[in-house]
Amino acid sequence: MKNKKINLDLNELRKGGILKQLQKDYFILRTRIPGGYLKSDMLPKFRQIAKKYGKDYVHLSTRQAIEIPWIHIRDLEKLIKELKRLGISRGACGPRSRNIVACPGSSVCRFGFTNVEKLATEFDRKFFGQDVPKKFKIALTGCPNSCAKPQENDIGFMAVGEPECDSTKCTSCNLCAKVCEKVCARGGREPAIIMDENKKPVYRREYCFFEGDCIRVCPASAWRVKRTGYTVFVGGKVGRFPKLGYKIKEFASEEEIFKIADKCIKRYNQIAEPGERFGESIEKIGIEELKRQIL
Amino acid sequence: MTEIKINQILDLKNTPCPINFVKTKLKLEEMSKGEVLEVLLDDGEPIINVSSSVKEEGHQILKVEQIKNYWKLIVKKA
Repeated sequence: MKNKKINLDLNELRKGGILKQLQKDYFILRTRIPGGYLKSDMLPKFRQIAKKYGKDYVHLSTRQAIEIPWIHIRDLEKLIKELKRLGISRGACGPRSRNIVACPGSSVCRFGFTNVEKLATEFDRKFFGQDVPKKFKIALTGCPNSCAKPQENDIGFMAVGEPECDSTKCTSCNLCAKVCEKVCARGGREPAIIMDENKKPVYRREYCFFEGDCIRVCPASAWRVKRTGYTVFVGGKVGRFPKLGYKIKEFASEEEIFKIADKCIKRYNQIAEPGERFGESIEKIGIEELKRQIL
Repeated sequence: MTEIKINQILDLKNTPCPINFVKTKLKLEEMSKGEVLEVLLDDGEPIINVSSSVKEEGHQILKVEQIKNYWKLIVKKA
């Protein structure tokens, strides 16, 4: 094998998406699919790559992208050219920000408050593949069900909806108070909705989880979304030493979350030692200090 | 709203989710636009889930009333 010429542009490889595999001379191709949203006409292209360069199968990564293992070192250069031609983007590995993870969001999900698909595309454009001390993971989720697990990412944004009630439409059926009591009991809080002496709902914002159950259940459509925003979590990770992110803001606007993400990546680069995750750096400086710096 | 003319009654007490919703949906499909269906549902998940789902399908909920340990849901077909 030694005398076989392997022609490789190392700079091209450093751009990411090619991971060394357990077996000698083989690599895994990791792709970039923001939020896991993929046009179906791209699928045959992935199939083509898996058939030609891999072993005719793909692996769906935990960050919603497609990985293709069993690519031989001698094929890498050709593969990279072919990926470019097909329009398949390579993912991130090493000290860089990773594929954005997202849930289905309000375009199809009954629970979603915001269009997470669109947001994932915009976040990908701004924040994918940036240089960082270790890695940086971003998750976007459309409601407090947290399907995209924003609390487990270096930064996570969870859409929330603040409800309001038009009491002239209310028929005093009590269903809102009923669902609210259930949610709040599970979350260890007093109910955010209680009925007054006239059997009309009273909203106590301080106890609300902003999940929107009252809005969905209301038969009279008296409850509606007053405003949506994003709850922001920072410093979450899993790995060997798991830790949930700190909640640093309850209602951030869409405009604000781009600024917060940008500031977090910048701060992370300033405060972390190489190899350190954002959550670990936050522990050193304290969450209050970070909040002061980025909010 | 005092006197609502009920066209059909569906007793779904002891019918679990999501069967209760499916039965409600099928019944509504048999009915004509503007007709009224009364559905009896268990307390807890059934009344919560079926009301949300019926509303999502675009029907109008005229009344929701608790009767002892079950609920009466009155729906006007859209």
